[in-house]
Amino acid sequence: MAPVALADEARFEVRSAYLEPVDGVMQLNATLELGLSSTAQEALRDGVPVTLTLESQLRRNRRFLPDATVAEIEQRWRLQYHALSDRWLVTHLNTGQQTSWPTQVAALEHLSRPRGVPIIDAPLLRDGATYEASLRATAEVGGVPDSLKMLMFWVQWQRTTDWYTWTVRP
Amino acid sequence: MNAAQGSTQATAGPARGAWTRYLPVLLVGVGLVFVTLALGLLSRTAADANAFARLQPLLLGINGIGILVLLVLIGRKAWRLALDYRRHVPGSRMMLRAVGTFAVLAVVPLLVVYWLSLQFLNRGIDSWFDVNVRQGFADALTLSRSSLSLRMGDFLARTEGAARELSGESEIGVVVRLDSIRRANGAEEMIVVGANRRLVAFSSSAGAGALPMLPGEDVLLQTRQDRPFVSLDPTGDGGYGVFTAAPLPGRAPSEEPLVLVGQYAIPDRLAKLAEGVQGASAQYGRLTYQRPYLKGTFTLTLTMVLLLSLLAAVYGALFWAQRLVQPVQDLIAGTRAVAKGDFETRLSLPSRDEIGFLVTSFNEMTKRLARARAETELSRAAVEKERANLATVLARLSTGVIAFEPDLHIRSMNAAAGSILGVDPEQVAGVALADASRLNRWLGQFLDRVGERLQSGQAEWREQVPIHDEGSRRELMCACTALPVVGETAGGFVVVFDDITTLLQAQRDAAWGEVARRLAHEIKNPLTPIQLSAERMRRKFLGSMNEKDAQVLERATHTIVQQVEAMKGMVNAFSEYARAPQLALEPFDLNALVSEVAELYRAGEAPVQVELTLEPGLEAVEADRGRVRQILSNLLKNALEALEGTPDPAVQVITRRTEWHGQPVVQIEVVDNGPGFQRELMGQVFDPYVTSKPKGTGLGLAIVKKVVEEHGGRIEAHNGPEGGARVLVALPLNEQSRAQLGARETRKSEPRRERA
Repeated sequence: MAPVALADEARFEVRSAYLEPVDGVMQLNATLELGLSSTAQEALRDGVPVTLTLESQLRRNRRFLPDATVAEIEQRWRLQYHALSDRWLVTHLNTGQQTSWPTQVAALEHLSRPRGVPIIDAPLLRDGATYEASLRATAEVGGVPDSLKMLMFWVQWQRTTDWYTWTVRP
Repeated sequence: MNAAQGSTQATAGPARGAWTRYLPVLLVGVGLVFVTLALGLLSRTAADANAFARLQPLLLGINGIGILVLLVLIGRKAWRLALDYRRHVPGSRMMLRAVGTFAVLAVVPLLVVYWLSLQFLNRGIDSWFDVNVRQGFADALTLSRSSLSLRMGDFLARTEGAARELSGESEIGVVVRLDSIRRANGAEEMIVVGANRRLVAFSSSAGAGALPMLPGEDVLLQTRQDRPFVSLDPTGDGGYGVFTAAPLPGRAPSEEPLVLVGQYAIPDRLAKLAEGVQGASAQYGRLTYQRPYLKGTFTLTLTMVLLLSLLAAVYGALFWAQRLVQPVQDLIAGTRAVAKGDFETRLSLPSRDEIGFLVTSFNEMTKRLARARAETELSRAAVEKERANLATVLARLSTGVIAFEPDLHIRSMNAAAGSILGVDPEQVAGVALADASRLNRWLGQFLDRVGERLQSGQAEWREQVPIHDEGSRRELMCACTALPVVGETAGGFVVVFDDITTLLQAQRDAAWGEVARRLAHEIKNPLTPIQLSAERMRRKFLGSMNEKDAQVLERATHTIVQQVEAMKGMVNAFSEYARAPQLALEPFDLNALVSEVAELYRAGEAPVQVELTLEPGLEAVEADRGRVRQILSNLLKNALEALEGTPDPAVQVITRRTEWHGQPVVQIEVVDNGPGFQRELMGQVFDPYVTSKPKGTGLGLAIVKKVVEEHGGRIEAHNGPEGGARVLVALPLNEQSRAQLGARETRKSEPRRERA
């Protein structure tokens, strides 16, 4: 029995992220380091899907009150190997849009550079206010029943990066 | 007490309600249902991993709850069993052995089944990943790919053909002809892309509203290198599309390179088959990944089910052992209760098996014992009642009754016997006859005589036994008889006796009274004519006789007259003794009377010293003054006569106030220093005509006794320790004390009189 599913020495982190206004929408662009363990890569090749979740928050700093969350977005992708076509399928679970890639590296490269993820309409941001944006990614081995995960609680079924936080001044 | 009312139900433990009694059964029943359900679910999940995933929480929940409930139940029972074992409760060791046996019998097969199930599960799961299966999936994938490769090659050829058709066309021409070429080649979509992914032309079966799917840079880069591109892409809805790209040939180097991209749909039937293969392969891949986890989970679940079954088996062992041992414990408790004398114990019938038969027999036994005891109690109560009645009769009886054991120990003595013999009946109960003789002089004389008779083997006899001490004498009429021997009860003897002293005294009194009356009547009357005749003879013939004859006549008539006077005195004394009591009671000063009477005797010629010791302030005595004077005179006269010839004769008269039987009396004690009463006359000194003096008539003390008894008093005669006679007279102080003492004497003597 594999003691871990995702835990490995491979780096798994948010390397950079920023928001930029595009056509009046603040869009998120980020660069992730999605190092998967050899076990996870093996599982992927066996057809076990891996789900990548990007959680992003935008909070307005307030002086005397707790920060106000103005936007909270969660985007999910699923990476799965398609044995018949020998293609790596990346499905954006929020929209259902699917792309296929010839290699795992190409698919992970695609996933590690999310571009143009809409966060909030730019006019909703107050001029002069200071915002704090946070981003973290979670990779989770899919295809395993939740009850099994609950029962085998000592197995690391998912990996989550630390929150990557930066200041935004519109 | 009614046996039914007193019946008790023996139970080993505290009384339990129906709910408490049936709760474990209910829980065990529900537990068995759940265990069966859990095992059924487990067997289903062994063949279906998805079902396992769905049912896993349910299984875990069932097992968890079951284990908790069973642990609580087992803990309760085990704790109680441990306490019982430590307290040495009857049956606890037997129950422990039974629990151990049952538990081993149940646990061992369960462990075997567990091991077999584990093997079955592991092998079942391993069978999913058999090498042949894996190879089968790989072959199926290869076959599908091969089949699809033919299609892909065909579609690529179509795209390349279309590209050739469009070669040499201007961009306008490409736009115009693209749709017809797409239709001709059966493509879903065709687009022509220029440099920098510039869309040149677009045709789609979805119509003009469809958005073109531009190829990636990698595709364009490959086709520009004159290497056609083809790929199979799942469409996400279960279908497959073939994505092809080929450069438009014949373009001049100066011209912008164009690439024709064509998309074709795999026929539905083929797509479904391919998707089936793909899906199965993917599922297999996921199972391969899950394999170790599934095995662990199955093992864990099976272990929980086993644990549940084990606990259920242990609880069942405890439960059934208790059910088995409970009647035995009840029987032990019942037996102990019977041993302690509780015959009302009834056990509840646990079942109709051998234990039930035993319990029925036990109940029947206790029922019979209770009935027998009740009958015994009734008999005993009847005997006790008879004994109490007899004891009451004996206690009220004035006749003394003494029962002796065959070995001549005193078994019992009634109150009258104690009173007559002057001993406490409780004191002599169980004492040997020889030992009891030393307790009391009267008792000793009596028992000595009885002992002589019994030791000589006489069981049936009747005898008048005289007993006496220094001052009094009693006559006891005894009758002895042997007691019958009943069963193991020893016989013994019973001696019945009456104090007939009073009766004899009364008889003597009556006889002497009659004698006195006759003397007075028959003798006194002729005495006067005799005296007169003698005096007449003397007067008539004295003067006419010679001196010698006259002297003879003188002496003869003098003797006659003197003896007649003496006889008159004696007759008067007897008359006095026999007269009817006519008391003239009045209060007077006894000390004054004593002094007065004593003075008369002091004045006489006898040189006797009469000493008076009178209690100062003595209350006035209510009595017949003349009779009391007679008492004093007689006693002093008796004493003075007894002192004749005694050197330094002295008489002491003592008066004192004292109590007799709780009543106030005055006591007159006359003590002399003479020779005292003769020992052989003791007990008869107050009888008439009993005297040791040559000159006495023998009526003095008899008259004194009679007068004292007429006053309701008491008289005793003793000899002093240093010699001399000592007479004690006690007279009631007043009418009230006389009445009380008279009533007591009446009560004491009535039954005897009745018998007399």
